Parts: sequence; C-alpha cells; structure tokens
Amino acid sequence: MGVKKTANTSVVLRTEDLSKRYGRITAVDSLNIRLLQGEVFGFLGPNGSGKSTTVGMMLGLIRPTNGRVLAFGSDMTLHPWPALKRIGSVVETPAFYPYLSGYDNLKAIGMMLGDIPAHRIDEMLELVGLGSRARDPYKSYSLGMKQRLGIASTLLRDPELIILDEPTNGLDPAGTREIRELIPRLAREGRTVFLCSHLLHEVQEVSDRVGIVRKGHLVAEGSVDELLGRGRYLRLRSEDNGALANVMTAIPWVSGVEMLDGFVRAAVPPDRAAELNRVLTGHGIYLSELAPWEADLESIFLQLTGEVSER
Amino acid sequence: MIPLLWVELFKLRKRMMTWLCALILVGLVILVYSVLWNISGRVTTFGDHHRFTSEQLRTALFLQTSVPFALQMVGSLGIILAIVLAAGAAGSEYSWGTVRLMATASSGRLRYLTAKLVIVFALVALGTLMAVAAALLYSSIITFTNSGFGFGFVNGPYLRNQLESLGRTLYVITPYVCLAFGAAVVGRSTLAGAGAGIGAAFAEPLIASLMRLGGEPWHSMPRYFMNANAQIILQQNDLPAVLPRFTPGGEDLHGVNSVEEAFLILGVYSAVFVALALFAYSRRDITAS
Repeated sequence: MGVKKTANTSVVLRTEDLSKRYGRITAVDSLNIRLLQGEVFGFLGPNGSGKSTTVGMMLGLIRPTNGRVLAFGSDMTLHPWPALKRIGSVVETPAFYPYLSGYDNLKAIGMMLGDIPAHRIDEMLELVGLGSRARDPYKSYSLGMKQRLGIASTLLRDPELIILDEPTNGLDPAGTREIRELIPRLAREGRTVFLCSHLLHEVQEVSDRVGIVRKGHLVAEGSVDELLGRGRYLRLRSEDNGALANVMTAIPWVSGVEMLDGFVRAAVPPDRAAELNRVLTGHGIYLSELAPWEADLESIFLQLTGEVSER
Repeated sequence: MIPLLWVELFKLRKRMMTWLCALILVGLVILVYSVLWNISGRVTTFGDHHRFTSEQLRTALFLQTSVPFALQMVGSLGIILAIVLAAGAAGSEYSWGTVRLMATASSGRLRYLTAKLVIVFALVALGTLMAVAAALLYSSIITFTNSGFGFGFVNGPYLRNQLESLGRTLYVITPYVCLAFGAAVVGRSTLAGAGAGIGAAFAEPLIASLMRLGGEPWHSMPRYFMNANAQIILQQNDLPAVLPRFTPGGEDLHGVNSVEEAFLILGVYSAVFVALALFAYSRRDITAS
C-alpha cells in the first residue's frame, strides 16, 4: 500500500462527463474522476481503453467532444496554461530533442517555463541518476535513460500534479524500484500523482485509489482496499459447496455469495465469521476452509474488463 | 513571448541543420563568385549572343554590386534553403514527438507557433546577411586584385538602395517560408513542408509556362502566382544585366503586374499560409509523435 493521505484532500483535477469520439468510435465516454491532493491515483485499462486519450484531454492536448476537465479550477480546453504550469507530465514515450543533450533539453524546458534556476536542472539530473550523462546527446540514451529524463523534466517545474504514463517502461529492476519509491515520496510531499500503468502490481503497490477503465467507461473506482474487497469477503469450502452457497444466500447479513472454482466467496462482516460457522454447522455443513478472501488487482482487473491482461 | 523566442533560438542554434543551411548558402555565394571570376579571365565575351565583354563581367563582380548580387542569389537559390529551414523547424517537432512537450510547457499554442515563425524569419534574415557578408568579402578580394580599393560609391542613396534591396529580397522569401512552415504544421511533417515549398518554387514557373499557352482563362492566371510576383519585385534590385539572375522559368514579366500589385499578392499569400498554420495548430488535437 502506498502513502497515507494528508488531511488536506482538496480536488486538484476533475473530469465532468468527459467524452471523446473519433467518428463512430467512442474513445472516452462520460468519464467522471476526481484527483485529490496528495494521493496517488492509479489508472488502469487494457490497450485502446481510452487511457492516453484521457491523459491528452487532462493536459489540454486533445479537445473533448463533450464534458470538460477542470484542473486547479481552470478549464483545460479554454484556459490550460494556468493549470499546465502546475502539472508535470510524461505522456507515453518520453520525447525530447535528439540533437540536444539531456541538460540542454531540460534547459529548453526551463526557459519556456521561466524562473527555473540552472542549479535545479543539475539537481533533477542527479535525482534521476543522469548526472554523469547530462552532456551526452539525448539520441545516445537508452530507453531507461530517456524515461529518467522524462521524469526529471516532469519534476523540473516542481509540479503539484504529476501525470505519469508507464513511468517504469524500459527501466531495469533497480530503476523500477527507484521510481516505485519515488512516487509515494512525491505524494507525501503533498503532490498528486496520476499513474497510468499496465503493471497492475505496480499500481497496487503505490496507489491510494484506482480507476479501471474499459472501452472508455470507468468500470470501477475506489481505494485499492475497496476494490480488492479486503476485510469484506470470506473464502469458504465444504464437501458440498452447492449446499453451502444455498444456505449462505438465505442468511440476511451475508451478501455477494458466489461459487468460484472449488470454493465459495461471500461478503461477511468480519466480526461475524464465528457466528457464520455456527449457523452453517446448524445446517449440517462442516467447513474445511474458512479464510479471509485475498485477491490481487490483476484478478479484479480481469474480472472487470473481461479482457486478457496487457502484461 | 520573450522566453519562447529564446527557446526557439536556442533550439535552432544548437541544431546542425541551421548551420548546414548557412554553410551551403555561403558556399553557394563563394562558388558562384569563383566560377564567374574564373570565366571573366578565360573568355572575351559572355552571356546570350555574346552581349557582354569579359571586362564588363569582371567589373560587375566588384564591391559595388556585391550586395544586390548576393541578394539575387538568396532570393532565388537561397529560397530552397529557407524552405528547408522553415519546414524542418516546424515539422521535426511532430516527428520527434516534442510537439506535446512544447504544448504543455508553453504559455499558449498560438504564442508558441508565432515565436517559432519569428525565429525562423530572424535566422533567414541572418543567413541573408551572412551571404551578403561572404559576397562583400569575396568581391573585396576581386576588387583589390583588379583595381585596388575605392569606396567612392558609398553614399546615402547607395546605402538606401542596398537596404531596399535587402527588404525586397526578404519580402520575396516570406511567402515561401510561410508556405513551408504552414504545410509542415498542417501536414505534421517536415516532408510536407519541404515538399510544398520546393514544389511551389520549381513547379510554379513550369505550370505558368503551360498556362500561358492555353489561352484564357488560363493565360492570365500565372500573374497571381508567387514566382511571377517574386521576380517582379526582385527585378527592382539594381543588378547589372551581365550578372545571372538564377530565375526559374525565365518568364517575360514585363507588364504582368505592377510592383505594388506584386507586393500585395505576396502579402496575401504569406498571410493566408500563416493563418492556416495558426488555425490548424490551435484547433487540432495534439496526439501523434
């Protein structure tokens, strides 16, 4: 689990019925999400589910067909600049000027943003481990180094909202771990991180809340705990799972009874597990297994999207 | 706006293409001067129907005519380099994917594109001055080795004439730069910009020749073409007849349009191309890399 949110939970970005259509294809359909200050929001979805289009609209790069994005109070279609100054982003593959060095690329961005002191460029390059290669041309960088430069450029403006699209793509295991440690740290500093990733365990590890999108629709949104149903579901098994499911369905304080592969899953108040066992015994059903339900985000994702993971 | 101008200057200054274009232009000037100087020492007559003597050619290469001759080279051959520079400056942002980076870091799409166009023009003007400087240097050598230095021709009217020639030349380049820039933005690629600009520079005179053979309404259409009006304006530069003008097509432009009409037509072209680029960039989604 990632960072704990601070007391201040003001909304930094909100989408209102956000939609984007390309001809007959609806890329994003009435999307409503809110990003709270200091949280890490994981944004999951299979290929073509509208993640990148959503990010494009959040940054004012793509015009919504309907709805709007409000970031720091600014409508990103009409007046993006006041908000863009407070947002850092790496969209899809990092893109920089190939003939410029890493340092010069950051210098160019710094010049555009204004008031970025030269020492901050060096600090950012050191932070992402590019200090020794800062003067080399960008075109000579490996994919991982390009990704690191992307993160350095994102942090250069000291943003309040950071939008990261596949930030660990191309990084080696050590680099991946650094980024995973960096994201919660940024949130602890009060920044909001919007994380698009196909690496479900990565999102699960660092995110406070998660949104799952399928064919442009937001099919689930909530804290990781909520989505996983932690502390809410029990996993039960008996000699006759069919009879077990029937009896449990009739119990008023049990819900969501579901027969799965070799066991039964049901939502049961945690403090009533012993009582449930007594009730079942009274019906002649003896449990061979009674345990808290432990799911991972991947199984929830596959269940909600009905598609094969991108992994 | 000022930071945007500095960034564009920084990016183009660091780019090899910019220096390569300048180097080619200066090299072109030196090459043309070298060839003509060599010819003036090897032949007795020069030009169509042997109209000029070698002495006339050599004298035309002296310091006094170096500015208009350099500008004539820029206004004809140099246009191609200006087109490449403009198309590259706008189109490469799409091929590198940096258009997204810049769009999220700049204080407005229109400001960003305007800044880019302003710097392209500034570099075209700088390149023109470099070509003039190269011509001045080379013609100084020619002048010195033939008759020694003399600056008696430099007076107020002469300097004003040179400045006017510079202004005319830059004005003539402008619609081609705007076309290349606009096409690169609309087509989201360097190739689209370079193709449109170079295509117009080369294809216009050919199509104009064809149209003039076709009777009305085709016959009068080429008077609205960029090339015809560019040549009308460049003909105002005070260049000795012995020196080549490097004009494609070799059209007879006498009485086609007045100079004022030519200025107006090229101005309209420039404005339309810039407006198209700004409109496309401000209204369209920025997605592709």
